[in-house]
Amino acid sequence: MRRGAARFVARAAAAAVARALGALTFVTLMALMALMAQMPLAAFPAAAAGAPSAPGLLDFTADERARIASHGPWPPPPERDPSNRVDGKPAAIAFGRALFFDRRLSEGARLACADCHRPERAFQDGERVARGRGQGLRNTPSLLDARTRRWFGWDGAHDSLWAASLAPLLAESEMARRVDTLADQVRGDARLAAGYRRAFGEAPGDDDERIAVDLAKALAAFQATLVSPRSAFDDFRDALLRGDSRAAARYPLAAQRGLRLFIGEGRCSVCHAGATFSNGEFADIGVPFFVPGGVDAGRQRGLQRLTSSRLNRLGPHNDAGADDPRAVITRHVVLEHRHFGEFRVPGLRMLARSAPYMHGGSLATIEDVVRHYSELNEERLHADGERILRPLKLSAAQAADLAAFLRSLGR
Amino acid sequence: MKAALAVLVALALLPLVLAAGGAVACTLPPDAGSVLGEGTLRLAWRAAPPTLAVARPFALHVSTCPGLRLVRVDATMPEHRHGMNYRPSLHADGDGRWRAEGLLWHMAGRWELRFDLVDAAGAQHVLRQTVELR
Repeated sequence: MRRGAARFVARAAAAAVARALGALTFVTLMALMALMAQMPLAAFPAAAAGAPSAPGLLDFTADERARIASHGPWPPPPERDPSNRVDGKPAAIAFGRALFFDRRLSEGARLACADCHRPERAFQDGERVARGRGQGLRNTPSLLDARTRRWFGWDGAHDSLWAASLAPLLAESEMARRVDTLADQVRGDARLAAGYRRAFGEAPGDDDERIAVDLAKALAAFQATLVSPRSAFDDFRDALLRGDSRAAARYPLAAQRGLRLFIGEGRCSVCHAGATFSNGEFADIGVPFFVPGGVDAGRQRGLQRLTSSRLNRLGPHNDAGADDPRAVITRHVVLEHRHFGEFRVPGLRMLARSAPYMHGGSLATIEDVVRHYSELNEERLHADGERILRPLKLSAAQAADLAAFLRSLGR
Repeated sequence: MKAALAVLVALALLPLVLAAGGAVACTLPPDAGSVLGEGTLRLAWRAAPPTLAVARPFALHVSTCPGLRLVRVDATMPEHRHGMNYRPSLHADGDGRWRAEGLLWHMAGRWELRFDLVDAAGAQHVLRQTVELR
């Protein structure tokens, strides 16, 4: 009996050892798998990862190279918007392009989309704040790379390019049209009706709201084709990635040093992430939100408008209905107090062509923007801002380097 | 003599027995993903799509031990003092399987995933896992 009990305990002990070893093996396996999962970012050609730098090329570490890689490739592969049934359709793009330059879409035929979103200025206007029929409160955003965005407008009040395109047509301070008069115009104008028919495969019907939304969808189809050109940074990134040190060394050293600051000590890339240099979300970076007559609540008000709109992806005008995978963000976005005074993190491509900067156009030059982050008001940020933000306290040389990098993001 | 030796070995290994098998662990599906917790308070989770990326929406598939109910999934960045801009929805897929939809991590860095569970006796439990998003 005693011998049997001893055998039982010994067996149990052996089983426990086996279990422990098994667990250890599993942990090791998981660690290896985790390591492998991270490899794509760090998987540079061997020649690049450990190679000595060529003359004129900084000795970027493997971690820095992985961070640099995350800002590409450019351009990204096109992704159709399932909520817009004519996205990518050539006839709709042509119709949208014609509408974009057509002043008859505004009250009094005085203003076209292209008057504020000027092609020669990266599809913005160079003004501090927008000037439509009246003076606006916010800077006109560039339309380049709009197709890559998740939220539209400085406050993200729209979740699709077509909804964002309808807003200025109907805004009193911009093109000041009504849905019914827009629809009448499309039905009554032979050129517009023909463009509509070619784009949507049917004549404009009786549903005024549908016609107005369809105009916006054609406008969106055109704007989805507006993509920033490749930049000096993209050439550098790709050369670094393929291990071509000589080609990478053509990228100016000042821009390289600025890039190192951007992805490293400056932590700019925490928010200005990915190929567009934006995480697509919202932040309070210490820019005053006071405007004539009150405050601009930014994302907080934008979310209220989004969730109450018939024109969001959960509404009746989404051509993909409940199957739209992009609607998941609209379904789950939350409104919190911290969103007050937050504005969309803008992409940085073609930055030199899209001055002035910030949601109120308060900073005139790239140097002003760099100075803003160098001298941030820490007390204010500690009250409401994220802990990630702190004054960079850049030297003059560092500020110049960071500006050189930012300028290299466009042609 | 042999029996006495076996007993001695067994006694020496007893702490290991208790550590490894003291609480009987429930069996989770082998492909259920990363395992959290111990004994009967365990879950496994995996993301869909499987590779997490900054600013890309994702879902979580969670498997729990029998008797556990998953009541909430959330994530925060403790160093940044903020969470997500999205509140995940939770769906029961049956047999201890759950699906959390609508997650989006908008910054690289250290995220803390939080799973709130209720056991068969009604007691509440929280399991956490740190994930470094690059």
